[in-house]
Amino acid sequence: MSSVAVKLPVKMIINWVGLWTIIRREIQRLLRVPIQAFLAPWISALMFIFIFGYVVGSRIATIGGHRYLEFVLPGILMMNIVNAAFLQATSQVYFQRFMKYVEEALVAPLSYAEMIIGTLAAVVFRSISTAFGILVIAAVFGGVKVVSIPEFIFWVLVVSLIFGLLGMAIGLWAKNFEQLTVLNIFFITPLSFVGGVFNTVSMLPPWLKWLAWGNPFFYFINGLRHSMIGFNEAPEPLGIVLSLTFLVILSAGVWRLFAIGYGLRE
Amino acid sequence: MTPALRVSDLRKVYRSGTVAVDGLSLTVEEGDFFGFLGPNGAGKSTTIHCITGIATITSGSIEVFGVDAVKDYREARRLVGLSPQEFNVDVFATPVQIVDWMGGYFGIRKPERKLRIAELMERFELTDHLKKPFRALSGGLKRRVILARALINKPKLLILDEPTAGVDVELRLDLWRYLGELNRDGTTILLTTHYLEEVERLCRNIAIVNKGKIVRQGPKAEFLAGDGLEAAYLGATGAKPDHVAAGAA
Ligand SMILES: Nc1ncnc2c1ncn2[C@@H]1O[C@H](COP(=O)(O)OP(=O)(O)OP(=O)(O)O)[C@@H](O)[C@H]1O
Ligand SMILES: [Mg+2]
Repeated sequence: MSSVAVKLPVKMIINWVGLWTIIRREIQRLLRVPIQAFLAPWISALMFIFIFGYVVGSRIATIGGHRYLEFVLPGILMMNIVNAAFLQATSQVYFQRFMKYVEEALVAPLSYAEMIIGTLAAVVFRSISTAFGILVIAAVFGGVKVVSIPEFIFWVLVVSLIFGLLGMAIGLWAKNFEQLTVLNIFFITPLSFVGGVFNTVSMLPPWLKWLAWGNPFFYFINGLRHSMIGFNEAPEPLGIVLSLTFLVILSAGVWRLFAIGYGLRE
Repeated sequence: MTPALRVSDLRKVYRSGTVAVDGLSLTVEEGDFFGFLGPNGAGKSTTIHCITGIATITSGSIEVFGVDAVKDYREARRLVGLSPQEFNVDVFATPVQIVDWMGGYFGIRKPERKLRIAELMERFELTDHLKKPFRALSGGLKRRVILARALINKPKLLILDEPTAGVDVELRLDLWRYLGELNRDGTTILLTTHYLEEVERLCRNIAIVNKGKIVRQGPKAEFLAGDGLEAAYLGATGAKPDHVAAGAA
């Protein structure tokens, strides 16, 4: 039998082909379920934009000096970025474990860093695709404004990574599909709703204000809002420091979980 | 010469508390065709999982061609191909995707990967099934995909955990021939199976494991001397050959 010569890279520092394969593979998997992955959030965002931004918004003079549609759009965008990142990470990690094909990565010369970065790259791909679609929809309603593109990119990326890492940890921990959704139902959805998607903090009764200041979503939403319309109720530096701190802690945590093989190796 | 595989005093205790491997030591010389036998639950798959990184090691050490499989795991993984007992694949993916992703994980570039995949698909007669999802394949075809996947990186050490379970007579014979070829071309093979005939035909050295420990080890000839491999196997695993024969009569 004549045989093809297979050349394995000598002494890999970074297994680039392996890293790209993790990303490419996950995107191929996502494209198998385009309705669930992309269309669903776009349609839901369209409804939010239409009802809250357009129908209700036309009855509201201005909020914080801005048209209501412009005001809610960053909130809607942020909710969808958070959801896309979290769902992507949990399902990617959990499906691999559930179907056992995580073993394919374990028997290959892939480092933990490559596995984590590969997963996060797919997370960022999904959340950016989701965000981009929503921006296009919002543009149709004439509600898109971005005053600072670098700041906008910062928030989209940092929030995607934070919830991607959180999702990875949940994906490693979960023993069944029910547990995958726990954090989303009890934590992410409620906190994002009270984090200032639809309203300013000044609209809250005084005894509820703590709900905003102690809520990480308040900083994420306001950060993104500031990058888009220049309006911010949260102190910007505090939001940035807080987010980067989350990012560092979560990265270290997920790194540790991979290193000990938590949920991965028997 | 550095052995292809050296397992020293391996112990594996699962989180559930099950002691699956209990002080197992094993050496497979380069170029060997090694039979790794034992009853259900003896710890064969667990040992293999420890070698390949699917399971963590509780204590002991493993070296693949002198490379520490824990400390320098990436270096060690490159040398090994595994065909696992259970299908650990994305069942919605096609044979080509499954093999291609594994090749990518091993860092093989696209042009080489494509040639190698074409070669393997041809070799395992999968060319008529390239577009079917794995779950729609018959049991034997699934087994072939798994074997093709194990060979994508041209491993120096090929580990086969019950590769012929559920495979028809023709493919089994074909596979035996192919494994023989691979071995002649220099691939070291570790084979786990419950078909003693397979071991008689293919293996040069044999180890029998029971309750997580090696209970007998040596060249095949030693096992064949006397009452044959079956008697030697039953004797080593603690079942009494005479008693079994009497019960069956
Ligand atoms: N993931 C796991 N978690 C807990 N216990 C396990 C796990 N996998 C295997 N075991 C236990 O470890 C022991 C050894 O199992 P193993 O699969 O290694 O046996 P084996 O020799 O491969 O058997 P078989 O011939 O049936 O494949 C058994 O008692 C089994 O129940
Ligand atoms: Mg087994």
